[in-house]
Amino acid sequence: MKIWSIFKRELQSYFYSPVAYIIFSSFLFVVGYLFWVVMVAQKLATLEPFFGNAAFVLLLISPMLTMRLISEEKRSNSLELLLTSPVSPAEIVMGKFLACFFLYLVLIVVSFKFPAIMYAYAQNLDWGPIISGYIGLVLLSAAFIGLGLFASSLAESQVTAAMVSFAGLILFWIIGWVKFAVEGPIGEAISKLSLIEHYSELVKGVVDSGNIIFFLAFTVVWLFLATRVLESERWR
Amino acid sequence: MIEVKNLTKMYGNLKAVDHLSFEVAKGEILGLLGPNGAGKTTTMRILTCFLPATDGTATVAGYDIFEDSVEVRRRIGYLPETPPLYPEMTVTSYLDFMAGIREVPYGKVRSRLNDVLERTSLTDHRHRIIGTLSKGYRQRVGLAQALIHDPEVLILDEPTVGLDPNQIIEIRDLIQNLSKDHTVILSTHILSEVQAACGKVAIINEGRLVAVDSVEHLTSGGDVTLFRVALKPATVDWRETFASVPGVELSHVGGEGKHVTFDLRVPNAETYDKVFAAAVAKGHIFTEITPARASLEEVFRRLTVGETAQNGNGGTVQ
Repeated sequence: MKIWSIFKRELQSYFYSPVAYIIFSSFLFVVGYLFWVVMVAQKLATLEPFFGNAAFVLLLISPMLTMRLISEEKRSNSLELLLTSPVSPAEIVMGKFLACFFLYLVLIVVSFKFPAIMYAYAQNLDWGPIISGYIGLVLLSAAFIGLGLFASSLAESQVTAAMVSFAGLILFWIIGWVKFAVEGPIGEAISKLSLIEHYSELVKGVVDSGNIIFFLAFTVVWLFLATRVLESERWR
Repeated sequence: MIEVKNLTKMYGNLKAVDHLSFEVAKGEILGLLGPNGAGKTTTMRILTCFLPATDGTATVAGYDIFEDSVEVRRRIGYLPETPPLYPEMTVTSYLDFMAGIREVPYGKVRSRLNDVLERTSLTDHRHRIIGTLSKGYRQRVGLAQALIHDPEVLILDEPTVGLDPNQIIEIRDLIQNLSKDHTVILSTHILSEVQAACGKVAIINEGRLVAVDSVEHLTSGGDVTLFRVALKPATVDWRETFASVPGVELSHVGGEGKHVTFDLRVPNAETYDKVFAAAVAKGHIFTEITPARASLEEVFRRLTVGETAQNGNGGTVQ
């Protein structure tokens, strides 16, 4: 009930401001443009480039969608209201996470038009990797939101929150390159933290439980940290 | 209903609240009074479980604010200093949200909503966007939010700040109506507000409690020993008539010759009789004698600035 209230308010506030509309249209425009260019140039019936592009554009817009989640409440003192209500920090974080996640799901559902367009030209589409790619995209969104929500809980300024989450996302995007510099098991272990490695396996059609667990764990860890930050707010 | 014991809050080395103790009974309105920075807001934030105390305890409705924080928060309606509103929402959707997180049962939300809109005279503005409301209306929305779950305890941080005189009176009446079945703590540095709305006052200065009492008690300390006197003197040496009685102090305020006004301070009731008998004997005619009661302003100044008033009565005559 309380999570639902927070979820509803959060989702409403996305649509009260132009943010959601701008982000939606720019995502669809950029991804659509890349989809068109690649399809015309390559003439291949595969959605692999689409998933790569979609994930990267999502990475660029994600900080914009998550930055206000908690920092806005801090700046406008409404956090005082939430924390003096019988709501736990975990409920606040969960409600906000779900609201943002719902927004991403809508975006992802709208992007079903790309496989549909492709299907119009090539009936011999391989649906397996497309479905697993979409599973990857959904999991990746959750991971992006988790990190962004944590960044937002740290800062009172939305710009700072956006910078922190952007830096964090980029870092976890390319951390896999460590394995080229550091030989042996340590390099391997660090590069396992890379979001893109797990994502690209899903896009290729490899639905390994390890990949799914990685994304879920990644999300939960950041959400947990955000909860702790909110709790600590009370003890300062 | 509310018990505060030895509450202390340190911000680094700064003592914001220093061993504060007081009690508020059910149905009482306590005014927390103090100069800016006295620790009023900090105290309220501790009571609403927003800030932890460094030391000491407090219970609200029998629940400890540290141990049973959630139970306490369920029973409190809180209006912070700046009403925490979401400017993009409408009044109704905001209150609906607050009802949700304050655990108002789903079936009761509508009736609670109509009730608080009615009480805060917001019914005509229910569909307006909060960001477009004037300060007074925002304050009312803040108050409506604190009432939405019909809490046992209301904690209001400067509830009338930014309101016009009519609105102040409305809000005061509202608070007094609420006190029938709610316990209220309100903070303010406006003294007339305490006098008008509160049954009990706690005066805080630099984090310490300097007085807690009913308004009547605080303003009528001991015998009245100060009078404003207007006089038609019979002789030019009228001062000496009064000065001849030992212990009497006289400070001239205005007028000369045919009509004079002055403040008269007498040490006790017997001297009072002597002074007036002596004056009448000399043929002076009193046109006005006003006994001075200490106003809350004086009590406040005396207690917070550290002035020690003589004979239990401070300041000048009103």
